[in-house]
Amino acid sequence: MSATTSNRRIHSKLFYRLQHYSVELACLALGGVLVIWSLLPIYNMWMIALNRHDDIFDGSLWPEQPTLQAFRVVITEDFWYLARFWHQFGNSFYVGVAVSFLTLFIGSLASFTVGRMHLKNGWMLTNAALMTYVIPASFLAIPMYRIMQIYGLANHLVSVVAALTTFATPYAIFIFSQYGKSIPMELDESARIDGANPWQIYFRIYLPLMAPALVAVGTYALLLAWNEYLYNFLLLSTPESMTVAVALAQFLNSDESPWNYMMATAIIYAIPPIAIYYGSRRYMAAGLTMGGVKG
Amino acid sequence: MKNVSRRAMVAGSIGVALARPYVARAAGVTATVWQVQGFVPEEDAAFRKTVDAYEKLSGNRIDLSIMPFQALNQKAIAAIHSGEVPDLIFHDAPTTILPQNAWDDRLEDVSDVVEPQRTKLSATALLNASFYNSRTKQRAFYLVPIKQACAPFHMWGDLVRKAGFDLKDAPKTWNAYWDFFKPVQTALRKQGMRKLYALGLQITTVGPNDGNGLFAHFLIANGGQGIVTQDGKLHTGDPAIREAAIRSVEFMTKCYTDGFVPPEALSWNDADDNNAYHEKLFVMNFDGTLSPELAMIKNHKAYYEDMVVMGLPNRNDGSPMPAQLGAGGGFIPKGAKNIAVAKEFMTYFMRPEVMNENLKNGLGRWVPSIPSIVKEDPWWLDTATDPHRSTYVHEAVLGPTVAQYNGFNPAWGKVAAEQVWGQAHADVIKHGMTASAAIDKAFGRVEEIFSKVVFG
Amino acid sequence: MSSTTQEALSAGGPFSATRIRRRKSWFSGLQGSEHGWAVAFALPYAAVFLFFVVYPIGYGLWMGSDPALYQELFADPRYLTTVVNTLLYVGIGVNVKMFLAFMLSGFFIRKRWWSKVVLVLFILPWATPALPAFMSIHWFLNGQWGMLNNLLYTLFGIDGPVYLNDQWTGLASNVCAYIWKTLPFWTLILLAGRMAVPQELYEAAAVDGAGGLRKFTHVTLPLMANLYFVCTLLDMVFALGDFNSTFFVSGGGPAMQTEVLATLGIRYAFTIALPRLGVAAVMSALPLLIPLVILLMRKLRMSEGQL
Repeated sequence: MSATTSNRRIHSKLFYRLQHYSVELACLALGGVLVIWSLLPIYNMWMIALNRHDDIFDGSLWPEQPTLQAFRVVITEDFWYLARFWHQFGNSFYVGVAVSFLTLFIGSLASFTVGRMHLKNGWMLTNAALMTYVIPASFLAIPMYRIMQIYGLANHLVSVVAALTTFATPYAIFIFSQYGKSIPMELDESARIDGANPWQIYFRIYLPLMAPALVAVGTYALLLAWNEYLYNFLLLSTPESMTVAVALAQFLNSDESPWNYMMATAIIYAIPPIAIYYGSRRYMAAGLTMGGVKG
Repeated sequence: MKNVSRRAMVAGSIGVALARPYVARAAGVTATVWQVQGFVPEEDAAFRKTVDAYEKLSGNRIDLSIMPFQALNQKAIAAIHSGEVPDLIFHDAPTTILPQNAWDDRLEDVSDVVEPQRTKLSATALLNASFYNSRTKQRAFYLVPIKQACAPFHMWGDLVRKAGFDLKDAPKTWNAYWDFFKPVQTALRKQGMRKLYALGLQITTVGPNDGNGLFAHFLIANGGQGIVTQDGKLHTGDPAIREAAIRSVEFMTKCYTDGFVPPEALSWNDADDNNAYHEKLFVMNFDGTLSPELAMIKNHKAYYEDMVVMGLPNRNDGSPMPAQLGAGGGFIPKGAKNIAVAKEFMTYFMRPEVMNENLKNGLGRWVPSIPSIVKEDPWWLDTATDPHRSTYVHEAVLGPTVAQYNGFNPAWGKVAAEQVWGQAHADVIKHGMTASAAIDKAFGRVEEIFSKVVFG
Repeated sequence: MSSTTQEALSAGGPFSATRIRRRKSWFSGLQGSEHGWAVAFALPYAAVFLFFVVYPIGYGLWMGSDPALYQELFADPRYLTTVVNTLLYVGIGVNVKMFLAFMLSGFFIRKRWWSKVVLVLFILPWATPALPAFMSIHWFLNGQWGMLNNLLYTLFGIDGPVYLNDQWTGLASNVCAYIWKTLPFWTLILLAGRMAVPQELYEAAAVDGAGGLRKFTHVTLPLMANLYFVCTLLDMVFALGDFNSTFFVSGGGPAMQTEVLATLGIRYAFTIALPRLGVAAVMSALPLLIPLVILLMRKLRMSEGQL
């Protein structure tokens, strides 16, 4: 090996290494920007929550005397807006679980009968679901409000459960139909030959095999219900029936809002969905095809 | 209105005569009541107490739902439009609800409840409680006015002292009074308070009430009080009123562009100004009720030593300036099932001793609509135990007062909801319009809105 | 591009790659009581659709059917501003975000130990409930005591503007908040799309001598184009209906100048007490919404076969 070629090789190696490093560096910088961009508003929430009430506006970037007092107040319901906090937390939980369960039940039945049993004119059902999926929920808010009054459900948690189930189910049908294709039809057939009726096939064969998709969609529905604001706000109005989302917004239309309490409430309220999301992230990936959120 | 009232009174007394025995017989009737959540927890407790006392007395039951202000607004609107209504709605200054729905004949006439107390009620309360019904083509009472409130000046006395000024020197006319605080800002900034502003002048274009109320007061101070008269007529064509509006916009926007108002004020919502005031980001604020003080009542030093409440100075021409009052109380939507009970409860609530007890328990954030109460019960004017209440009561009850324009013509509510005045300020501040051009534009819009409301 | 690549392409896009031809329904169709079961299984959703979709839509159409409402609507100067805002919000918000999401999906597909960490943090805005997140942004942007201007002052000595006082910075704030909240989600979708591109295609392209750029334009782009297009359409519909970011970040202010149709409708209905006008405001978006919905329904059906 002559000196020149080895020299050139070193040069080009150095060049590539330099290029490699600069690309890596640029990527790292981009990563840093992304992290800051994503975390700033969330950091802001913590900042306000950790401040004492009268220090919120002093303009420092970190509380001078950070305190967990606001969290204590929220947890012990020690402020009059928060007097029903845990009750409202329970309401949110109830709505989330009910929407999740109903969405799974109604969605899986529909996709079973359309996708596997090939119900006559089943396309109408899938088209209906598709249409619901692509209509913005907020556009139906005013008539929906009236409809709930006509049904006698106004100011009742059931009204929110019904409305949110309506908006979550199309996505469920969408995902289940896709996922169901991976389950061999032969399984159904052999059960049929053994004399199982469709309910047994649905319950014993279809549902267990759909488990990953059920977890994904269930999580999705739970998060949707937990995070939704507009329908909660319109349909629920007394402190007894409110969910946390509505109670939180109440801080905004009063003459006095201790923002540290509010942000502490917001953080406590945000923890379950974040935990659930990260907990079921693996399953979510399975369900994470088109359109995992509903606007 | 006199004729109507007399007729209503006859009808009312018959109604009461019929209702009384009915209620007595059907003891145990349950009426549904929606109540607005107070701004201090004591208000809710006070209402509960009044309800309990009524239940004991009558044998009827009140099924009470407490809702925050916004939620109640929206629920009441939806309920009235759908016909699925409660028997009584008890609300703070429901000026977005009453005028339009009275106009559309969607509310029960409550004249029979108001009339018996007519002589005791203040003239402003009576005006704030009566609305025009376009079907009967008459004015009648649709609100049982229990309580009233005005906007006083709130300020941090300690900041004024720190700047080396004395509130006793505050001038006695409107514009000069505002100007008095400007050097306070200059002095305090020199002492290192970099972000401090003098005036919490709410030229907001976001919050539903504050900006509109402030503009109305400026109009009054500049002699434009008659922009809408009791007959519902709009007087934007009157050069004196146009002049008053222009001078109001000029003064307010100049305070802002000269840097005496927090820049953020243009987009404050209802809570923002109070929060900023509590954080001492500005020296003085003009805002409804005593809630800024009452929210801090547990902070002894702030409430008893630092905070100061002042009533209105005179108008710019030196004449006494009336305070514009809002009224709160009960109203009954058409279609309510237990009207008799609702009216009986309101009649009970209108008894001076009941009204007094309830409002006192609510810490006096609202004042009684019956002025004699504050003269008879020393609690209201007692300056020894409370530094703020007496000033507030003087402004709201004992001084000259005027009603809100909303009751004169429902179009005013739409003007307020569209933030027409806030827009005029924004036009001057943001788009460099002259005040007179901005007012021409605003008046044009106001005339258009009013033109759609025709009194039959 | 060589035949190898072509062949691989024709085998199917990212979605059909994993799909194996299977029997579509039960043998010999439904028998006897199975018909009844099939109908019974369809009933719950049919009921939901009837009671909570068809009825409200019908009711809404009825509420907004009076032509006089539209006269009133068009006479309101705020309405025109709102329409312009809505178009800007949807047009800019969606397209900027989808472009960023596409670029970022390329960033995240290159596996580095730390990019996983970044991804986990990057997802956080999406997992955080909208309401507290947007409230936080509202205060973050406060001109006087918000963190953003504090940061600008501390770092660069600049006094930032009052963002929510001005129509354009206010609108931009709302759009940014919307992007902040939903960018992670669409990045993940496009990332999933990229990962579904069969590796053989790139290998085949490499065999044909394609470099990085050619791989991108000849493999990634054509395969992702449809997904990108569908995602954009879908997000346009979502953005059109987005209530939260405008309502909580700028509150529609100053002077209702940053209002969009979704918030204006609610304001008309519940603040100004004109429910029918609110419905009319929302309905006036139908000329934009209906073509979007039809296009989307066709696209989704095509790309998913069955659904």
